Amino acid sequence: MQVFKAFFKILYRNKTSLIMYTVIYLVITVITMHTMQEEGEIGFSEVSLDVGVENQDEGNLGNALVEYLENCHQIQKVPKEKEDLQDAMYYEEVDYVLVIPKNFTEKFELGETEGVLEGTTVPRSSSAYLVENKIESFLNIAAMYRSAGFETEEAAQKAASDMEESGNVEFLGKDGSQQLPGGFYFFQYLPYVFVVMMILGLGVAMKEFQEKNLAARNKCSAMSFFKQNGQIFLGCMVYMMMVYLVFMVMACGSVGDYMMSLQGVLSAANALIFMFCSLSVAWFAAQFAYNAAILSIMSNVFGLAFSFLGGVFVSLELMGERGQQMAKFVPSYWYVMANREIQKMTSFSEAKELFPFFLMVLVFTLAFFSLGLLVNRMRVKSR
Amino acid sequence: MFFRLYKYNLIRYGRQKIMIFWNLIFPIILGSLFQIAFGNYIEEEIIFHQIPVACVEEEDADENFTALLKGLEEEEIITVQFVGEKEAEELLQEDKVEGIYRNGRKSSSSESGGEIVLVVSDQGMNQSILSTILEKYEQIKAALVNIGREHPEKIQAAAAQLEEECRYLREGSVLKEPVNIVLDYFYSLLAMNCLMGATAGLMSAMEFKANLTDLAARQVVTGTRRFGILLPNLVAKITIQFVYLVFSLCYLMFALNVPLGSQWGFILLTLFVGDILGIIFGFFIGVLGKMKYRVKESICVMMMLVSSFFSGLMVTGVMRVMETYVPIFNRINPASLIVKSLYSLNIYDTYERYFQCMGNMLLMILVLGAGAFALVRRERYASV
Repeated sequence: MQVFKAFFKILYRNKTSLIMYTVIYLVITVITMHTMQEEGEIGFSEVSLDVGVENQDEGNLGNALVEYLENCHQIQKVPKEKEDLQDAMYYEEVDYVLVIPKNFTEKFELGETEGVLEGTTVPRSSSAYLVENKIESFLNIAAMYRSAGFETEEAAQKAASDMEESGNVEFLGKDGSQQLPGGFYFFQYLPYVFVVMMILGLGVAMKEFQEKNLAARNKCSAMSFFKQNGQIFLGCMVYMMMVYLVFMVMACGSVGDYMMSLQGVLSAANALIFMFCSLSVAWFAAQFAYNAAILSIMSNVFGLAFSFLGGVFVSLELMGERGQQMAKFVPSYWYVMANREIQKMTSFSEAKELFPFFLMVLVFTLAFFSLGLLVNRMRVKSR
Repeated sequence: MFFRLYKYNLIRYGRQKIMIFWNLIFPIILGSLFQIAFGNYIEEEIIFHQIPVACVEEEDADENFTALLKGLEEEEIITVQFVGEKEAEELLQEDKVEGIYRNGRKSSSSESGGEIVLVVSDQGMNQSILSTILEKYEQIKAALVNIGREHPEKIQAAAAQLEEECRYLREGSVLKEPVNIVLDYFYSLLAMNCLMGATAGLMSAMEFKANLTDLAARQVVTGTRRFGILLPNLVAKITIQFVYLVFSLCYLMFALNVPLGSQWGFILLTLFVGDILGIIFGFFIGVLGKMKYRVKESICVMMMLVSSFFSGLMVTGVMRVMETYVPIFNRINPASLIVKSLYSLNIYDTYERYFQCMGNMLLMILVLGAGAFALVRRERYASV
């Protein structure tokens, strides 16, 4: 097993950077998982918006309006500094800001209604319409009661009670409305990490074996070509499994419950299949890697292209129709689709629905492997 | 002497293909990927568009509701298609409408359901707006019934009040344009592009240390002052890096139409300072310790990657999370400072926070520059 040993000697020589990459990507995966999980939870209550309210009204109507808004939206404090408010709106922490002036009730009673409240939102946004519609409805109904002879306080009470009237909505639920577990996010980001780790790790070792003089020396050695390549392949597989196991152990550490569930097992299988794909992508990329700098370029180009085009870093729904069509031409798209499907599974018998996705990833594995072979063949012939 | 060395350094650095890839081509690739991924985000997720809805009318349909829908169509809130039940369901399944109003039929799921039912298949902003329209209608109906029951003589006054359609809200202004969090990706990309200069700075250090490269060894035996050799080298790298940055900025703003702001002078100033920071950082790492070039290069690349990650290059909102839990990190993270500066120009009306970030960057440049200078000053080689 000389070649196998040499393979790991090369990897060992690069241990510092490999360990550094592993630790950094582990940290990135875990941080991303926690960040996205939090966002997912916010996204789940999307119909209930974050409304910042500053109520300066000395009368009752302002309070009644705030109480009503509390029932349908999350009321937030309005940041004092204008810059902080701009930050909050930019980062979607506050969708709408309502300022109720001091003499609002008084003006309402006098019938001065036009533009008495100040509403601030992201220009031309949908959330503005939703919140404004609710506020205007409440006040219009209160004004109706008032014109019918009710006192302001009573009018507000009656308006609030009428506002409890809800329309009849039939919901033909679509999938994906349930809250996604942390494990989903952990596995969502693995394609980027796997592709980068495999290209950087394997590329370093394969680059050495492809060095012109070494390759020529190896060719005239007693060991057969098949045996040499078999041992390099074995080395690749062992390295692949090592990286895979490190990330699976990390998954058990950070989302242990998820890993013990049906979803966890299927996600691990999905990740393993993608790992093979990453291996073949690394094999393909290594054919072009004349030095470490090109290897680094390859890892970033493949890693980022697969992640952005395949819906790893960004939800596929946001990509538009053209983006989604393009996404089908990268393996990470099929991995992401499988990861989503896994969350809907209730028993192992349903796992067969994942086979088309697994198969697509394996087809890409084969395609990259074949392309790598082709490039390799062309290079050998050109020498 | 300065200009001659400057010129040759410009030519040498400008011809390095690997640098051209990382500083020129890679940002274009990444920017294009961002645009494919998030190009539609603001248009599709933030901006309000007329909501397509189907309406199925039965024999006992409420005409007032039909009139309301037509009114809303005129106000460009919704677009209504009056169709049969089967066609409406098909439209909903094909996502051609966001919901169906069944006017004049009891809800199939609830015995106590009203006469008008909204059917939706998703939970989103548009569905919520459709639900609010129906809710509003039902609430006004309930109010009129209540008023009619308690003060039948005032029902006309209440109806007249309703007709007035008062607009209680006036628009406040905080953000000038419908911008949002996805812009962080593009700001981070520019920040990363600035920090890529670290490898160029590292190269300058290598070309300056006689114990590390042949070129430096050759230069050290010449009569030229060492600082006189170093300065044009660094200035040439800053110049070329800045050209790359301007190219990336133009590509993002004009080819991809990313709304990065209109304050050109300040944007270029930010990129220029970011560029110097990246190069000085690389130079500092280069002169620090006796580590091999490969190790120092890894440190520079990792610093660039980690710094960019925390500024939101890979996941938006990371910078905001850091601002909440470890604000000091954002004050010293170079990429976060560049992102925050560009963001400040586009979002805030004042320059206070912009100048704070720029001040921090300049301070870092001074500290790193002074540190690097202290490390290399009076350095002499007995034997190389």
